[in-house]
Amino acid sequence: MVRAFVLLAPGGPAPCRVLYARTFGTPPGAGPGGPRQRLRRKEQLLVVARQVASQCQLLQASLGRPSSPQLPQLPDEPVSLQDAPGGVFQMSPGDPFPERVTVVWLSVLALAFALVCEPQENLSLAEITLRRLAPRLLLSLRLLGPGADVLLRPDAADGLLDRLLPHGQMLFLNERFLQAVDRELGLKVSR
Amino acid sequence: MFTAAAESFLRQAREIQEEELRRFTARVSALLQGPEAGPEAVDGLQRLHLSVAATKYPRKLDGKFVEQLQTVLCSPKSPEQIQVLCAAILREMSPCNDLVLSCDEIQDTKLLSLVSSVLLAQGSRGEVAAVGQRVVQGLERRLPEGQSARFLLPVLANVISLSPGSLTEEQTNVVSKKLADWLRYASIQQGMAQPSGGFFSSPRTKQPAPITEVDGAVATDFFTVLSVAQHYTQDQWLNVQAFSMLRNWLLCYGGKELDTLNPGPLKKEDGDLQKACLIEAVTIMDIICKQDSSYVCRAVSCLKILHSRICGDATYARALLPIAQFFLNHSKQAAVDSDAIYKHLFSDIPALLFHNPSLAFEFVQFCKDNSQLFTDASSIFRQSFPNLFKFLAWNSPALISEFVDLLPFLLDPGTAIEIFHLLLDLPCLTAALDIQLRAAALPASEKAGADPAGKPATCLEAFHHPLYRSMFQYLLRSRAAPEDAPDSLVPLRQLLGSLAGSPRVVQCAETVPVLLELFFRVVAEFADGSLINQLVVLLLQRSDQLYEIPAFKEDVYRVLGSNLAMLCGLRPALVVELSTEILEFSGAVSNIQSKEAIFTHMAWAVGEFLSVSHDKRCTVEQITRFFETLEAVLFEITQLRPQASTPSCAPRAISVLMATLTKLAARSQDLIPRVSMFLSKMRTFVQSPAVTSVYCEEDLEEILIRATELMNLLKMPSVAQFVFTPPVASTRFQKEVNDSLPLALRMVTQLLEPAAGSMPV
Repeated sequence: MVRAFVLLAPGGPAPCRVLYARTFGTPPGAGPGGPRQRLRRKEQLLVVARQVASQCQLLQASLGRPSSPQLPQLPDEPVSLQDAPGGVFQMSPGDPFPERVTVVWLSVLALAFALVCEPQENLSLAEITLRRLAPRLLLSLRLLGPGADVLLRPDAADGLLDRLLPHGQMLFLNERFLQAVDRELGLKVSR
Repeated sequence: MFTAAAESFLRQAREIQEEELRRFTARVSALLQGPEAGPEAVDGLQRLHLSVAATKYPRKLDGKFVEQLQTVLCSPKSPEQIQVLCAAILREMSPCNDLVLSCDEIQDTKLLSLVSSVLLAQGSRGEVAAVGQRVVQGLERRLPEGQSARFLLPVLANVISLSPGSLTEEQTNVVSKKLADWLRYASIQQGMAQPSGGFFSSPRTKQPAPITEVDGAVATDFFTVLSVAQHYTQDQWLNVQAFSMLRNWLLCYGGKELDTLNPGPLKKEDGDLQKACLIEAVTIMDIICKQDSSYVCRAVSCLKILHSRICGDATYARALLPIAQFFLNHSKQAAVDSDAIYKHLFSDIPALLFHNPSLAFEFVQFCKDNSQLFTDASSIFRQSFPNLFKFLAWNSPALISEFVDLLPFLLDPGTAIEIFHLLLDLPCLTAALDIQLRAAALPASEKAGADPAGKPATCLEAFHHPLYRSMFQYLLRSRAAPEDAPDSLVPLRQLLGSLAGSPRVVQCAETVPVLLELFFRVVAEFADGSLINQLVVLLLQRSDQLYEIPAFKEDVYRVLGSNLAMLCGLRPALVVELSTEILEFSGAVSNIQSKEAIFTHMAWAVGEFLSVSHDKRCTVEQITRFFETLEAVLFEITQLRPQASTPSCAPRAISVLMATLTKLAARSQDLIPRVSMFLSKMRTFVQSPAVTSVYCEEDLEEILIRATELMNLLKMPSVAQFVFTPPVASTRFQKEVNDSLPLALRMVTQLLEPAAGSMPV
């Protein structure tokens, strides 16, 4: 299962920002209750985001690319994810989640998408899921534009996640199913 | 990206005051109460969500409003978007004290899923259990018209993931049976499956669909991975959902009913998904076989065929890992020889695919998960460590922490030396891999280009050049080869110097000090005298033979220096046994400048351990020889009029040299007058104008104080001897070189020089 999904702006010189984050259930009895539980959740996600940003910047450097591309693409130009850099890393127990987690991430222009997975999860499927979520989120939330939809339209992001990653369950969706999902969501995704 | 607009909204949301929020909430509340909650209500809820989400400390919303959100969420009349937003706000606020939400009365499965997302966010075992019960109830009964179980399965998956004990055994069996039905049902549709060739051209003629192509008997016991149909129906959805959650379900619950499932053909629609499905299927087979070993034999034969199909195809490499894991878990039981599988995996794959970050990660995970395999020194696993390091060399930032966990399993007396060299040359390996990749990408015509008689002009040309070829081959070897090490890799390191600035090489270089430190810590636990001696000699040798990256060399010297002292502490006798090498190193004045960290620790170790109490073979001649060597160095660097060629060095080195000479003199008292005279000249040294321009005042003062203390100590030779000859029992030292010395010195100095004020005026 996926424990959380994070959409972030890795920054470069600027600090990294969490633009949208969704956790899928809170393990019971895992820590403090009340407001501290909420605070802990937010801080855990921020730690993940920072680690993703760091790995992203290091990978961009090793590939010889600028770490924070400034040029936003026009929204209606199809964003190619074929060469989008991404990676996998593990976070040890206690840092920041009680149990070990594996983070799969993908970077598109000045954004990054990450799945926080339980250990022993199918990472190939996680990568596929990310590569499907990313363009659909870019489209629905107009992430490459100047607006702030990502902050103001959590329902759009939630709707996508409910279809492609319901309750953190990754799905083995073949092309047909994916097209059906896009129809349900009213999305026109270039193929 | 984080736009200006987003920045502005976020700031507003964070700065909104309680009073303003209260008024805004009241407005939204009124909108929600109206007959039709329209776009204004949506907008209000969206902004409210941001206000709640934007701060780390929780926002207090009016209790009545929170209740209203829950009512609106559960009401069938509410538009879906409004429901989604209410759920989002409630989740964001979780855990909520004011939650009255319950899933008992909700009939709509989609709404049930949404409400569950809020309940499962509370972190309450009771809530999780309640959701679990409700969902199982929904699955057991016949659902109302138009409702689909499709939305319930992910909830169930989440429930068992959060709290595996939430369901009773009876409920578990019921669900298992349903899952089996859904998995089996879609296979019946396969009879009408359409050829998928129209979707995209298939470069491969052979379809690896081994689960169904082996003999029918095997196939019937395993399920299909995907079904493809003209139209998707609810049942196809259930098939997909059921398969997607199957692994976790089996891990939590087993499932007797799931052992007999009908398969369908695996159709190729999406290459990547197909591979992911294959991996999932193998993993599930593994789990089933663990739970019921009667399936092992048949699974083994199936997987052997699968392996032979895909082992030649690099795009299926990631699937080799779960297959290997399966054989590791079960081949003993099936009395099957799977060595060929492991050999292919460890010998061929890393060399070919080190540059694939996902494979690299999974491969290293595989090694960590099966670390017990590495304990057998002769095994293919242990022998393949050079290949494993290729993953690290190429993907350093992502894999360094994994290798910190893995390295201890690779180290033993047989591999320590080779791994020592490998770690020091890790950035070279990165550069060599880069060249290997580029060379492989060259068209065939260019590959033979280099003139063997001349010198290669570029690294790329050098790759195949006779002068360098064997060095490259050694560096890029797949297996441990302690006997095959070329005499020297120096020419190759120099050649690769042009790549020393490449980001990937630099990132790799940054991981080396950490691993080196760990290396020494682990080796210290098992190394015998012979290995320690070998390491010390190599350490001194290699200090001249490092890849030319200044920051890298500095860090490596630092680690080597402190660990050199550690090794000497473990085996003090080595100072006597390796006196030739140590004298050679300590006598070279250039070493004090270029490798200060190593030199200083070496000098300290000589002073500490060169004594008859540590080794009976320590003679007066040896002490004298060391003394004279170090004295010459100290003389060279403390000239009153330093020439251009005089190396400048850290003041600490001067202090350590003085202390070491003093210690040696305390053991061979004929040397005391020489040291005392030397030390007395230090006052002149620190005051000389040429020197004061090179060193700062504090450092010079420290040197002078130290020299004075040492001189005073020597005035009482028997005390000096006592202070400088620590009992042999203390072989572990923790602190920095001079920590305990100053304390002793100051005590003695106070004895010798009366404190100010105690003299009669």
